[in-house]
Amino acid sequence: MQRRMTWKEFCFILPLLLLVSVFSLYPILSSFSYTLFDYQTNNQAKNALYTAATLNTMLYVEDCDYLVYYLNKDIPNVDESDRATLTALVDKLEAQKAAYANSEKTISLPAATDQEISALIAETEQVAQSYAEKYPTLRIVTKSGQILDEMKTCLISSNFIGLTNYSRLVSDDRFGQAVGNTFVFTILSVSVELLLGMALALIMNKAMRGIGLVRTTALIPWAIPTAVSALIWCYLYDGTSGIVAALFTRLGIIAAPELLLTTAGGTMFGAILADVWKTTPYMALLLLAGLQVIDRGLYESSSIDGAGPIRTFTSITLPLLKSSMLVALLFRTLDAFRVYDLIAVLTKGTPETLSIYAYKMMIGQSNYGYGSVIVVAMFAMVALIAFVYVKVLGAELIQE
Amino acid sequence: MKKMLAILLSVALVLATTAALAEPVTVKFAAQADSTPATQAVVDAFNASQTNYMVEWVDMTNDSGAMREQLTTSLKAGSSEYDIISMDVVWAGEFAASGYIMPLDMMLDDAGLNVADYNAGSMASGNYNGKQYVLPFFPDLGMLYFRTDIVSQEDAAKLIAGTYTWADLLAMAETYAGQGGTTTGFVFQAALYEGLVCNANEFTSNWTDVKGGLEIMKQFIDSKASPDNILNYTEGETANSFVKGESVFARNWPYQWGVIKSEGTITTDQVAVAPLPGGSTVGGWILGINKNSANAEGAFAFMQFLNSEAGQLIMSEQGGYLPGLNKMLTDERIIKSDDRLSMVGFQNALKTTIARPVSAEYSKVSDALQQAIYPYLSGSAEIDATVTAVQAALAN
Repeated sequence: MQRRMTWKEFCFILPLLLLVSVFSLYPILSSFSYTLFDYQTNNQAKNALYTAATLNTMLYVEDCDYLVYYLNKDIPNVDESDRATLTALVDKLEAQKAAYANSEKTISLPAATDQEISALIAETEQVAQSYAEKYPTLRIVTKSGQILDEMKTCLISSNFIGLTNYSRLVSDDRFGQAVGNTFVFTILSVSVELLLGMALALIMNKAMRGIGLVRTTALIPWAIPTAVSALIWCYLYDGTSGIVAALFTRLGIIAAPELLLTTAGGTMFGAILADVWKTTPYMALLLLAGLQVIDRGLYESSSIDGAGPIRTFTSITLPLLKSSMLVALLFRTLDAFRVYDLIAVLTKGTPETLSIYAYKMMIGQSNYGYGSVIVVAMFAMVALIAFVYVKVLGAELIQE
Repeated sequence: MKKMLAILLSVALVLATTAALAEPVTVKFAAQADSTPATQAVVDAFNASQTNYMVEWVDMTNDSGAMREQLTTSLKAGSSEYDIISMDVVWAGEFAASGYIMPLDMMLDDAGLNVADYNAGSMASGNYNGKQYVLPFFPDLGMLYFRTDIVSQEDAAKLIAGTYTWADLLAMAETYAGQGGTTTGFVFQAALYEGLVCNANEFTSNWTDVKGGLEIMKQFIDSKASPDNILNYTEGETANSFVKGESVFARNWPYQWGVIKSEGTITTDQVAVAPLPGGSTVGGWILGINKNSANAEGAFAFMQFLNSEAGQLIMSEQGGYLPGLNKMLTDERIIKSDDRLSMVGFQNALKTTIARPVSAEYSKVSDALQQAIYPYLSGSAEIDATVTAVQAALAN
């Protein structure tokens, strides 16, 4: 029986809604807003989301200070007649310093102020040029160029660029490669995990002596933190001293022991193997939970009807396990799709997956605008994967 | 009565002043853990030398990539958590462009210090838009280590004088590999990380001969002159191989001299140092001041102390660090404590230093260079495409 919620009831869930909006919606929305700006923290003209003309007062005052400092050093070195010009310039710069010294780090910049500052910069350039011949060693002549250029960058215009970041994504080969790597890693690791996990779950489901011990041991790889297990695998794969690398070379799987950590194919294989080792128990555990709720009576009646083990598996176990499989696959696929820690520790970033690429862009290169686009693209892909799973595998699940 | 009051007041005033003096301002110094006692000794010496400031060393992670992230996160948020910041030479451009650190020109001038008196490479890497942002912490440079008990005297003389090419070194590495208990010829850093950029910088003579330099680099990798897994070598593997006597030649930083002394199966008598054919990449660390610091004067006083004769002597004697103050390179006390500086090859290497590209987006440039060079070295890209990619990365 559905009925409309009363105000009083709504008040009870209000805290939940508030928490959801603060902790989920706000980060998502701010990530989206980053993607629309040329937002780079290593550039003072782009280190925030500027929607209107802004003045970087902190840098502007510092630059004025530098010019004053140069001019004061220069004044004793010029003729009496030229001193007035330089002193007048110093006074103007000092006035600017005083005007902005105590304001916020960045303030909004009206067109009139913009013109005033630009005029002052032009005047200083003019002075520097006019004295270049007469006094080639003056600081204002030799050193002011870069300072004046920097001063121009204090006049910040909006860095809103709309969808430009997205169009860059389309033509970015490295992004395409990262998508490819991520899908290869996800599909291969999850399918191998599903097969092995199923086998493991079927064994663990049998009532036999010592099953508790089997279940416990099987879970050990999953209990080890990923960073630690990645480090263990890193030693095992090492070209000079790694036992796994040596073993694979003996068996002829790889041509030389050092290839596992140095080549594109080798690192992909190594990362998948390490991931399979670690997460197969998790997959098995989820499937085991599904297996245990299947009614024993079904197996009894099928064996009375004369069904063999294969028929039993395909006709009873698989269909009844479908919902557990969907959950297990969905969890594992989304997990594998976002893989970061394993690869970051194992090879410091190869194969480059989407998470690694986004991390390198944002933290490594301080490019939050473009990095956020990669994250948003990942978000879209994750949503798509979840959608496909539910559509293909779980149509009836939703209906129930 | 009035007199009594005056006396009481002045006593109170004196007491208050001494109380204020007794509590020096704390200045936080963010630097990596030091395996030598030098950094702590300099901090202690500075704290003992005056009463106004108390420098407190904040230990940072030894993984420099992680340290940069930790610093940028703190600085981006406008924190004044750290006053003095120790930076890898390649970070200064970015930190200055981001407005995280303070320009020092006026402080230098007031203190009567001259930029030209300090290590040129270190100072240049902290000069952005015409402003000087840093003073040296300790400079570092790439150099060639070789085994004097294996290499012939004639070849050794050529190496020390620096009158050899990479091709000569390749030939020598192939000849001497396997002699005197070694298993390989030349070890260097070719793994996919910053070290690859330092090495490629030297192979290509500061990017003047990209094609030739990378080709000879690949010849080392493909030939028997270098180990099969050289593409996985960082400084750690390099030092390990050389100090265990497994290789005849090694490209590494000055610290390897100390490793040979402390844990080598070979001794320093069997080793000499030479300049590299394409020049020595400058590395090391530099000091800057957080722009949001409330104790800039104290921070600068410490940096000045570290770069004074007294500070440099402590850094050299207790830590084996190279002096950042040029006149100390030839100072007798330093040469006495640092035997490397008495080597002709070492002094020669100091004369041929080259910088990595200086950029506000250095990590982007470095990343692009690594992505361009590594596939060629590991055999999955052609030289012409690689050269184009390297040029594009440098032009950025």
